[in-house]
Amino acid sequence: MLHARVRFTISLMTALMAGIALPALALAPPVGKTILSVSGSVAAKNTDSAVAFDLTMLEKLPQQTFTTHTPWDKQPVTFTGPLLRDVLAAAQATGTSIKATALNDYQTTIPMEDAQRFDVIVAYKLNGQPIPIKTKGPLFIVYPFDSKAELQSTRYYERSAWQLKSLKIE
Amino acid sequence: MRTSDNNHRYLLWVALVTVSMALAMAVMLVLQLTQRQSIRQSSQVGNDSITAMAFQYEREFLRFRQELRGLVSERTAPDLDNVRLRLDILVSRLGLLRDNPSIALLQERPEYADVIPGMEKLVLQTDQLLSHDAPDLQALSGLLKDFNAIGPAVQALSIAANSQVSVLLEHQGNDLIRQNDLIIWLTLAQLIVLLVASGSLVVRHRKQVQQHLEWRQLNDNLIAANLQAENANRGKSQFLANMSHELRTPFNGMLGMLGLLEGTSLNAQQADYVTTVRGSASHLLTLLNDILDVSALDVGKMAVNPIPVQLPLLLHDVDALMQPLAKGKKLGFSMVLPPALPQWVEADGTRIKQILLNLVSNAIKFSPQGSIVLHVESDFATASQAGDSATLRLRVSDQGIGMDDTTMACLFQRFSQGDASISRRFGGTGLGLEISRNLARLMGGDITVQSQPGVGSTFSLELPMVCVPAPDAGLRVVAPAHADSSSLRGEAVHGLDILVAEDHPVNRKYMQALLSRLGHRTRFVEDGEQAVAEVRRAVPDLVFMDVHMPVMDGLQATQALRSGGDAAANVYIVALTADAFAESRERALEAGMDAFLSKPVGIDQIETLLQQRFGARAVAGIEPAMPACETPLPAAPVVLTPASASRRRFRAGDVAQHLDTAMLGEICVAVSLTGYRSLLDSFFSDESGSFAALVAALDSGDVGSLHGTAHALKGAAASLGLHAVASLASQVEHGGIHYSLDDCTAASLQLVALRHTAHSLCHRMGLTADTPIDTAAMRT
Repeated sequence: MLHARVRFTISLMTALMAGIALPALALAPPVGKTILSVSGSVAAKNTDSAVAFDLTMLEKLPQQTFTTHTPWDKQPVTFTGPLLRDVLAAAQATGTSIKATALNDYQTTIPMEDAQRFDVIVAYKLNGQPIPIKTKGPLFIVYPFDSKAELQSTRYYERSAWQLKSLKIE
Repeated sequence: MRTSDNNHRYLLWVALVTVSMALAMAVMLVLQLTQRQSIRQSSQVGNDSITAMAFQYEREFLRFRQELRGLVSERTAPDLDNVRLRLDILVSRLGLLRDNPSIALLQERPEYADVIPGMEKLVLQTDQLLSHDAPDLQALSGLLKDFNAIGPAVQALSIAANSQVSVLLEHQGNDLIRQNDLIIWLTLAQLIVLLVASGSLVVRHRKQVQQHLEWRQLNDNLIAANLQAENANRGKSQFLANMSHELRTPFNGMLGMLGLLEGTSLNAQQADYVTTVRGSASHLLTLLNDILDVSALDVGKMAVNPIPVQLPLLLHDVDALMQPLAKGKKLGFSMVLPPALPQWVEADGTRIKQILLNLVSNAIKFSPQGSIVLHVESDFATASQAGDSATLRLRVSDQGIGMDDTTMACLFQRFSQGDASISRRFGGTGLGLEISRNLARLMGGDITVQSQPGVGSTFSLELPMVCVPAPDAGLRVVAPAHADSSSLRGEAVHGLDILVAEDHPVNRKYMQALLSRLGHRTRFVEDGEQAVAEVRRAVPDLVFMDVHMPVMDGLQATQALRSGGDAAANVYIVALTADAFAESRERALEAGMDAFLSKPVGIDQIETLLQQRFGARAVAGIEPAMPACETPLPAAPVVLTPASASRRRFRAGDVAQHLDTAMLGEICVAVSLTGYRSLLDSFFSDESGSFAALVAALDSGDVGSLHGTAHALKGAAASLGLHAVASLASQVEHGGIHYSLDDCTAASLQLVALRHTAHSLCHRMGLTADTPIDTAAMRT
């Protein structure tokens, strides 16, 4: 952690000395274990190739909680987590689509505009509890299915990636 | 009834078809909804396909086993985190197979029970071993064997999932096919019902069109039949109207010849026969006129012809004609006139008189006793000016048998009399009142009736009238058709040269007799062509022109003459026709004729006409040529009366009424004709003064002396055979003592009139040389 901060400071100073304005402010590198890495067209990279988030970083973003039916559960379930668009904003992501990849190598493509049109969240809590990998954790992209009829379709169910590992902005 | 049954059946069918179609559609709707539901269900299953889940599970199982094998064999560097991650993911897949809602389908399968509980146990053991930082590789190696052993069961679940989905899809497909079949059958049934229904509709429509056509045909037929009937009826009326001329022509001849026959010397029995014939003929003429009037009204040929009419004179004529009829039934008849009765009004006097005569004669006919009163009322002011208009009301009231409401209701209808028995009792055509009312309406008025059985009836004639100034003396006035002897005034006209154009021999003969009697020279032609030639040869004073003639009719002849431009063009032409219609009159006048007389023509009418035309050039002293056909009077040579002598017309039975011819004969036998003449002369010159004495007594109301004076006159009159005078004198002799002053005056007037008539008769018969002096005329 210390090392990272030093490295950031050095790189900042180097940049200032070189007289080159930074394209964007990079995020602080994650302190804990990285649970989400956002790569591709992102400006706020805090690793070599991506913006890495640990749970704490996600918890610091504005939180959203909603309860909805899902095709995977018999009862309505309550999800908690930051909005996808806030996560993308934090990563300073620019692009048209997001390729989400899960731990089991499941891949799905989410149009960038979905993050603006719907209150899609990157949930890390289910019914108030952290989500273990043994169920669908640690992260779960969830659409508020009950808020709009159009969301109750295969298209959005497929985009709801669980055991989310990484996002790639294209 | 049949139509209504058919309609009911039709409606029943429509209802049945509608209900069955609706039912079929409802069933189809339910099926569609079920299909929709099952499609949604299958799509939900598809959302999270159990095949995919089983496959994912198998995949993660294999990946984990791979990692585990690597760890146990230590062929690769031990990466515990990765093994744990793979285990976690496997656990999450296992959890899906346990908890996912759509997994219920797979849980039924035996393959599920074969693998899942065993796998859970294995995973739990592995998780416990891996939770240590340095796992027991020996134990893990044992577990790897178990994982290898369970491998086929994992694959079997994947295959089972696949087969389960196939079975499900097959079931759903079968369901869909079954429902589809049902829908097809229902649709087919609907199609058949629809075809049958529309087929029936087409048939029904055809039937209706056919029926409509038939109805229209029937309607057309009915219209045609109605038109035909109307035409036939109009044809009948037209026929009657046309027959008017044909019927009047021989009638004219017959009545004329009867008139002439009456003028000849007849014995009492013959005179009686002639009177009877005359009565029958008059009655027949009345009936004929009624029928012709009705037919004229039917074909719209009847028209009213308003001319200036002297109202008091018209009423006087009605009085004069009806008084004898009333007296004959011993009924009273009086007239009540208003103070403000205009002298001259514009009206069709002939028609008004016709109505009044009809109403009054009805009243007389249906009154066994009592009196009849003609009330005349008018809205005219006392000093009515020419141009004032007002309503004239003429009410004829009687005290006769009266009528009930039912009778009154059908009173003005054709051929209806009070009741069937009445026509037997009273006779008549039953047309009179209809004609009267129609005439009244034609003149803008109406007739109403009030009646009570046993009390009497009141018929009210209301007519709008316009007051007119008295016409100029020189104005040509067409002689009224029913002029009576009272219109015979002024000087006689004689010795005119008259041409008569008439095709009918009887009528020629009649006209000859008539004109000769009036002292005129007569020429005759038989058609229009001859008439034109004759007039051009020598222009006569006047032409009587029959309208209907062969070769050239009267109208054409008149036009030919008028267009000639010579002296003949101005000849005075009088139309003679049996058509009494106004339009015949119009046609005649349009053709250039000067006057119009409708047949049968009376001697009075001709005389009036001639007086009006030639009054100014009254020819005196010209001896009239004696008509060849007139039988000379017996017992004495015909005395040609000078022009100054009054020409008196006599009615049938006048001789029998006034003179006792048997007695007359006796006297002549006894004292010779000369002796009788001298006796008569002294009676009429009143040498004895007995006549003057009686008149004086009556005039002074000296009833005491009546007995004596009347007795003296009675004797003188009776002995000379003047029996009318004698019987009046006898009445005065016996009843005079009770006379009022009015009675005296009436008796006096009557006495003078009877004496004058007797004198005239005797004069005509050549029994006296003296001209009778009209003392009655002098007195008034």
